[in-house]
Amino acid sequence: MNKLIPFWEFFTDPVLQASTISSMLMCLASSIMAVIVFIKRRSLIGEALSHATYPGIALSVLMCAGLFTKAPGVFPFVLLIGALISSLLGMRLITFMEEKLSVKSDSALCFVLSTFLGFGVFFASRLQFSHPIWFQKIQMFLYGQAATMLSIHVILYAILTLIIALFVVFLFYQIQAIGFDKMYTKVLGLRVNLIESLTLILIVIAVVIGIRSVGVVLMSGMLIAPAAAARQLTNNLSKMFLFSGLFGVISGFLGNYFSVNLSIYLMQVRPLWRVSLPTGPMILIVAACITFLCLILAPNRGLVTRLYRRQKFQLKVLRENILKEMYKTGSGQSFIQLGRRHRIFAPILLIVVCLMRLQGWISKENKLYILSDKGTKKACRIIRLHRLWEVYLYTHLGYLAENVHKSAEEMEHIITPNLEKKLSQLLKDPKLDPHDQIIPAGDG
Amino acid sequence: MKKQINIKNLTVSYDRKPVIWDLDFSIPRQSCVGIIGPNGAGKTTLVKTMIGLLEPLSGEIDFFGKDNVEMKGKIGYVPQRKSIDWDFPITVFEVVQMGLYSTLGLFKRPSRREKERVLEVLKSLKMDQFADCHIGDLSGGQQQRLFVARALLQDADVFFFDEPFVCIDKTTEQLIIDIFKQLVSEGKTLFVVHHDLNTVKNYFDTVVMLNTRLIAAGPVEKVYTMENLTKTFGQGGLIFEEALNLTSKSQEGLKYNE
Amino acid sequence: MSYWGLNFFGVIKHFFYTFASFIAGNCSIENLAIDEIQVLVLVFIGISCALIGSFLVLRKMTMLANSISHTILIGIVIAHVILQWFFFKDIEKPFQIDMQLLMLASFISSLLTLFLTDFFNRVLKLQKDASIGLVFTVLFAIGIVLVTIFTRNSHIGSEIIMGNIDMVHKDDLKIALFLLLSNVLLTVVFFKEYLITSFDSNFAKLSKISNWAFTYLLLLQTSATVIGALRAVGVVLVLALIVIPPLTARLYTNRLRSMILLACLTSALGAIIAVALSRHFLSVYGLPLSTAGLVVVCQFFIWGASVLFAPKKGVLAKYFFNAVSRVTAANPS
Repeated sequence: MNKLIPFWEFFTDPVLQASTISSMLMCLASSIMAVIVFIKRRSLIGEALSHATYPGIALSVLMCAGLFTKAPGVFPFVLLIGALISSLLGMRLITFMEEKLSVKSDSALCFVLSTFLGFGVFFASRLQFSHPIWFQKIQMFLYGQAATMLSIHVILYAILTLIIALFVVFLFYQIQAIGFDKMYTKVLGLRVNLIESLTLILIVIAVVIGIRSVGVVLMSGMLIAPAAAARQLTNNLSKMFLFSGLFGVISGFLGNYFSVNLSIYLMQVRPLWRVSLPTGPMILIVAACITFLCLILAPNRGLVTRLYRRQKFQLKVLRENILKEMYKTGSGQSFIQLGRRHRIFAPILLIVVCLMRLQGWISKENKLYILSDKGTKKACRIIRLHRLWEVYLYTHLGYLAENVHKSAEEMEHIITPNLEKKLSQLLKDPKLDPHDQIIPAGDG
Repeated sequence: MKKQINIKNLTVSYDRKPVIWDLDFSIPRQSCVGIIGPNGAGKTTLVKTMIGLLEPLSGEIDFFGKDNVEMKGKIGYVPQRKSIDWDFPITVFEVVQMGLYSTLGLFKRPSRREKERVLEVLKSLKMDQFADCHIGDLSGGQQQRLFVARALLQDADVFFFDEPFVCIDKTTEQLIIDIFKQLVSEGKTLFVVHHDLNTVKNYFDTVVMLNTRLIAAGPVEKVYTMENLTKTFGQGGLIFEEALNLTSKSQEGLKYNE
Repeated sequence: MSYWGLNFFGVIKHFFYTFASFIAGNCSIENLAIDEIQVLVLVFIGISCALIGSFLVLRKMTMLANSISHTILIGIVIAHVILQWFFFKDIEKPFQIDMQLLMLASFISSLLTLFLTDFFNRVLKLQKDASIGLVFTVLFAIGIVLVTIFTRNSHIGSEIIMGNIDMVHKDDLKIALFLLLSNVLLTVVFFKEYLITSFDSNFAKLSKISNWAFTYLLLLQTSATVIGALRAVGVVLVLALIVIPPLTARLYTNRLRSMILLACLTSALGAIIAVALSRHFLSVYGLPLSTAGLVVVCQFFIWGASVLFAPKKGVLAKYFFNAVSRVTAANPS
C-alpha cells in the first residue's frame, strides 16, 4: 500500500527534487514574462513561439544522433540552443509577415505555429524508425517530461530565471512605459527597440525552459494564466509581477504534487487502471484553477464581488425608498402595508426591515413600524438630494419640469456628499425645487 | 401610416455607462436631419440604436408606427469609412450588390435585371468604370460613394449617414448633396451625423443637437442658435458627467467613494 | 498497381495514368493503392480546409480554429463517453473515428470553445486574447489527463498531433469525401451570407442575416473537418492546411472567388507533390519520412515561392516596379 508523499519530500527526495524545483523555476520565469505579454495584449504569442521551438529541437537531436551513439553531456545545452534559434527565427517571420506582407496578426501567428510544427514533425520522422530512442527524446517535448530532469537542468534554469527576474527589476519603468504607450516612449528618447528585442529574447528563453516541463503544446498556457490571475487582484504593475510569480511557483509545485499523489491515490482506488498522470497538464490545470478562482472571487473585480455589490446597492435603494415613503405618509405602517405598497416579497422585506432596524432608522411599536429621529434625518437627506438634482436638471441642463422627476428618483441614491456639496455651491443653496416644494437643508 | 419618427426617453449605455440619456424628439417625414454634437456625445450610438444594431437600456423608437425590427431592410446605412476593412478581397460591384441581399433571402442569387440595377446606381454616382476594381484601390471620396451606392440599392425609406463629409473631394461632396436632395424629394427621411458646423444651415432642414442628453431638436432656423450651440459644446455638463460615472460604477458593482 | 520503388516522377506518371483509366472506366475503386488513397484523402481534406480557411483568415478567426483543434480532444473523449454510456456503443479501439462520433464530438467541441471563450471574455471580463488562450490550453490539458486515465497511454496524444497518414484506410476516404462534399455544398449555398458576415457584420445585421448563426456554422465546419482529418494529418497540421493556402492565394488575387479557388488548387497540388516526394524518399534513399510533415513543408515552399514570384504582389515584382518607376522618374521621356 503506497502512502501519499508529503509535500516536503518533493524537495528532499532525489528523484522528485529535480523535477519539482525545475518546474517551479520554469513557472516563475514564464509567469514573469506572462505579465509583460499580457499588458501588451499579445498573450497568444507564447503559443506561436512554443510551437516554433519544435524544428530546432528536432534538428538538434538529429545532429546529435548523427554524431554520437549516446546522448553527450552537452545534450541539454545543444537542445536549448537549437530551440532558441528556431523560436527566434519564428519570431522574425511573424514580424516580417505582419510588417512587410500586411498579414493580420492572428494569421501570422497561426502560420508560424503550424508551419514550424510541420517542419519539426518532418525532421523528427527521419529518426522515427531508424533510431527510436532518439526519436523519443524529440517526442517528449510535445507534452514535456518533468520526471526525467537532472540537476544540470535545475542549475541552468535557475540561472536563466535569475536573468529574467533581474531584467524586470532593473528595467521596470521602461517596460511599464513601453507597455502603456510605445510611441510616446520612443519620442522620449528611450531605446525602445533594444528593450523590445531583449524582452522578446527573454520570452523565448522562458518558453524554451518551460517546454521541457509542460511540453510544446501546453507552454502557452503558462504564459497566460498566472498573469490573468494576477491582474484580477491588483492595478499596480509591480504587484502584478509579484502575484504572477507567486501563482506560477505554486502551480509548478502543486502540479508535481498532484500528478504524483493523485496517481498513487488512483492506484489504490482503481489498481486496474494503472494510471500515471503526466505532470505538464497537471501544472496547467492548477494554474487555470487559480486563475478561475481569481476571476470569480477577486476583491474588487471578481464576479462574485461585483454581483454582491450590485445586490447590496439594490437593497440600499429599496431601504431608502421605503424610508422616503414612510416620511411622506407620516404615520406608522404595518409589515403587510409596506409589502403591498412597495410590492416586495415577504422574505426580502423581512431582511430589509431588519437592516433598517439595525441601522436605527425605524423601530417597532404595537406591530407598526415608525421612523426614528435618525431615520427622519436620513429621509430628509434623500429628499434633499432628489430635489437638488431636479433643480440642477431644470436650470442647467434645460430639462422640462415634468421630466426631472424620473432622473432624480435614481440619482438620489447615488449622489455622494462630495457631489452634493458641489451641487449646492453651483446652485447657490436653493430652497425650492421646480415643483415649488421645499428643499430640506443640508446637515440637520 | 403615421407621419413621424418618434424617439421617446431613449437611454443607451455602453459598458454600463450611459452614452445617451433620456432622449426625446420627433422628426417629420421627408426631413433631412443633421445630428450635431461634440466627440463622444453619442451621435454614432444614436444612429446605431435607431437602426437596431444596439439595444437601448430603455425607451422607444418608432418609425411611422413601426418599430425598428419591422423596419429591417427598409433602413439604409452608410457607415463611417474608418470602420471598414479595405484590405478585404472584394470588388466595388460586389459591395454594392450587397444592398440586394436583404430582399433576396437565403438561397437565391441576384438576377440579371438586379445586376443591371447595380450598374445603374454605380453610374449615378460616377463609379461605373470602377465596377471591377478592388476596393482598396479607391480614393477617399470614391470609398464614400461606394457605400452610398449600396444604401441606395436597398430601396429604403429612412437613411442614416455617419460622417459622410469627412475627408472627401469636392466632386464627391456635390454628388452626395445632390443625392440627399433627390432622396428627400422622393419622400425619404435622412439622418446625417455631421461634424462641420459651418455647413449645417446649407445641408439640413432639421437638426438634433445632443451631448449625451438632448439639447435641442427641430427646424434649423429655430433651433440652430448660438445659445444652443454653447449648451451643446460647452462645459456645463461636468457635474452631469461625474454623476453618470457614479451611476455606471454602482451598476457594475464596482467600488466608488462614499 | 503498387507504387513500390517509384521515384518522384514515376509516382506522378503512375498516378495520372491510374486516374485517367479510372475515368475511362477501366479501373475500380476497390483496387486503390495506398499512395492513391493518401493523395485522395489529402486532396479532399486540403480542399475542405482551403474553403473554410479562406473565411477564417478573412474574419481573423484563425486562432479560434487553433483553439478548436485543441478542444476536439476533450470533445472526442466526451463523445466517446456519451456514446458508450447512453447509447451502449462499444469502444473497440480508442480514437477510431466514425460518423456518429465525428458529428457528436464536433458539435460538442465547437460549442464548448465558443461558449467558454465568450464567457471568460464577457462575463468574467478577461481580455480577449487571454480568454482564447486560456480556454483552449486548459481544455486540452484536461483532455490529455482524461485520455491518460481512459487509455492508460499518455502518448496517444502525439498521434493526434501528427496523425498517421501512412496507416490510412478506405474508411478514411469515405469520411474525407463526406467532409469535402459538405464543405463545398455549404460554401456554395451560403456564399453570399458568409461574404457579408465576414466583410461587414453591421450590414449583415441590417439585412436580417444572423452573424452569430454563420459564425457558429463556420466553427462547426471547422470542428468537423479537424476531427475528420485527425487520422490523416493530425490536429495541428490541419491548421497548416487552413492557414497557408489562403495566404498563398491572397498573393495572387484581390477577388474572393479567385482566392478560394486558388487556395483549393494550391492545397491539392501540394498534396500530390508531398505524397510523390514521400514515396521518392522511401524508394530512392530508403527514408520513411512523415508524409504529413511533408505536406506542410510543401505548402510552406509554395507560399515562399509566391511571396517572391507572385505577379504584382511578390517581392521581386515590387522590386522591379520600384526600379522601373525610379528610372522613368529620373528620365521623363
